[in-house]
Amino acid sequence: MTELLLDPNIRVWVFLPIVIITFLVGIVRHYISIILSSQKKIELLQVQDSQVMIRARLLRENGKYLPRQSFAMRRYWFNNEDTGYFKVQKRAAASQNPMTDPGMMTDMLKGNVTNVLPMIVIGGWINWMFSGFLTTKVPFPLTLRFKPMLQRGVELAYLDASWVSSASWYFLNVFGLRTIYTLVLGENNAADQSKVMQEQMSGAAMAMPPDPKAAFKAEWEALEITEHRWSLANVESDLLATDSSNSL
Amino acid sequence: MDSYDDLSHSEVNDLLRKWRENNERKSSDVVALWMNVLQAHSNKYGNEKYVLLEQIIYAMLDCHLYGLAKGLIYILSLEFPRSLRVMRYKAAALEAEEKYDEALNVLDGIINADETNAPARKRRVAVLKAQGLIHEAIKELVDYLKKFMSDAEAWQELCELYLQVQEYSRAAFCAEELLLHQPHNHLMHQRLADIRYTMGGIDNMELAKTYYCQSLKLNPDNVRALLGLFLVANNLVGHYKSSGSSKRKEAWKLSQWAQSRVTAKQREAKAKLGLTDMMLSLSLAE
Repeated sequence: MTELLLDPNIRVWVFLPIVIITFLVGIVRHYISIILSSQKKIELLQVQDSQVMIRARLLRENGKYLPRQSFAMRRYWFNNEDTGYFKVQKRAAASQNPMTDPGMMTDMLKGNVTNVLPMIVIGGWINWMFSGFLTTKVPFPLTLRFKPMLQRGVELAYLDASWVSSASWYFLNVFGLRTIYTLVLGENNAADQSKVMQEQMSGAAMAMPPDPKAAFKAEWEALEITEHRWSLANVESDLLATDSSNSL
Repeated sequence: MDSYDDLSHSEVNDLLRKWRENNERKSSDVVALWMNVLQAHSNKYGNEKYVLLEQIIYAMLDCHLYGLAKGLIYILSLEFPRSLRVMRYKAAALEAEEKYDEALNVLDGIINADETNAPARKRRVAVLKAQGLIHEAIKELVDYLKKFMSDAEAWQELCELYLQVQEYSRAAFCAEELLLHQPHNHLMHQRLADIRYTMGGIDNMELAKTYYCQSLKLNPDNVRALLGLFLVANNLVGHYKSSGSSKRKEAWKLSQWAQSRVTAKQREAKAKLGLTDMMLSLSLAE
């Protein structure tokens, strides 16, 4: 089988431009997202709710170190039918539809403008502009299963799998430039696309706003069934015992 | 010469960063390093410069260099015109100069701009405390804790404020809250035991005994807890003079045990001291 030889012009006009375009688009996106990003304003009520939850959890976990009376007093404060914190505090149920919240809408729009839109536009443009080129070859043999990954846009059944097509080279760059971005822009930059993709995968669970009402109810139940077990009941005899065993 | 200079100022920067990360104040050292070495190179650190300036400002306020600190605050306020963090430095400078009312005004401005700014709220309490208005400080801190309930530092401060005005049962409540946050810290157990011992009465003595024991269990070298246990146990022996003898016996045992431990500790310390003395004399002889 004769070796394929690539035209040097492909290197100058396809291979390098793809690298440079992907890199520059990442940089531009980083700065655009900095301009568009809005500081998330935290509500005082949200802080208060989360801190109450932490305190109730601590009471459940470490309440065994308190005397029974102190524990009961605190639980009463949280759970008492008439005046307990979890009973008195009425929180509005979280809005079911994020579309009704205008702040959420703009956030989503901004996310789409900076992340999804350039991805589609640039990706489509690259596919159209540089379609059908083989750009490079990985220096080791690969099995046939790599063909759809590395040779997108060049469907030749008998081509060696280690050749890389231009569209695939673009995708390799999109995912592979991350470390270069951290080098140039510092940590936590917004240029990285692969992070966006991961977020889109797992975003569904995160996007749900926490519902304080349900959380309060769950915590109320957990606290209600917590039994107080005074863990310091035997500490004196323990102390004497450990010491006598040490001195032996 | 130039290269030596270069090396040393980057080393100084590293040193200051280390202090920042470890929360070491060392104000006079920081100011001296800034004056002698870093000032000329302050533009070399990019974004780190501002954190550095923050450290320097607080160090200067500690050292009563108000004019210099204000100059740096002015630089930062030009850089970040509406930053709440810079407002906090201004409040700190006013506090340091004991212009408390103006400081409170600045802090109120911060809180109005951002309700969730916990440090500003805590500074308000600190200003009131500095003015000696303990009751007002307590009120303010209680309000703060209603909103930020899991702030262990604030609970600790409230505990100390209550101790100052001798509200022991409330202080005990705060100490218990601290215990919930850090159940494995022997000092927290010891603090609660101290308060219970001060409150007096058989029930409180029993609790004090328990918590001293727990403190000693967590850290056998806590001599304060050992002494507290000894006092509590002796006190209990006195209380149980007439009642059931098993409790009295137990208290007696604890008191004996504490005493023996203290003696052992003292002997150990003396032996160590003797050893160092001997080594000192040896080195002198050589």
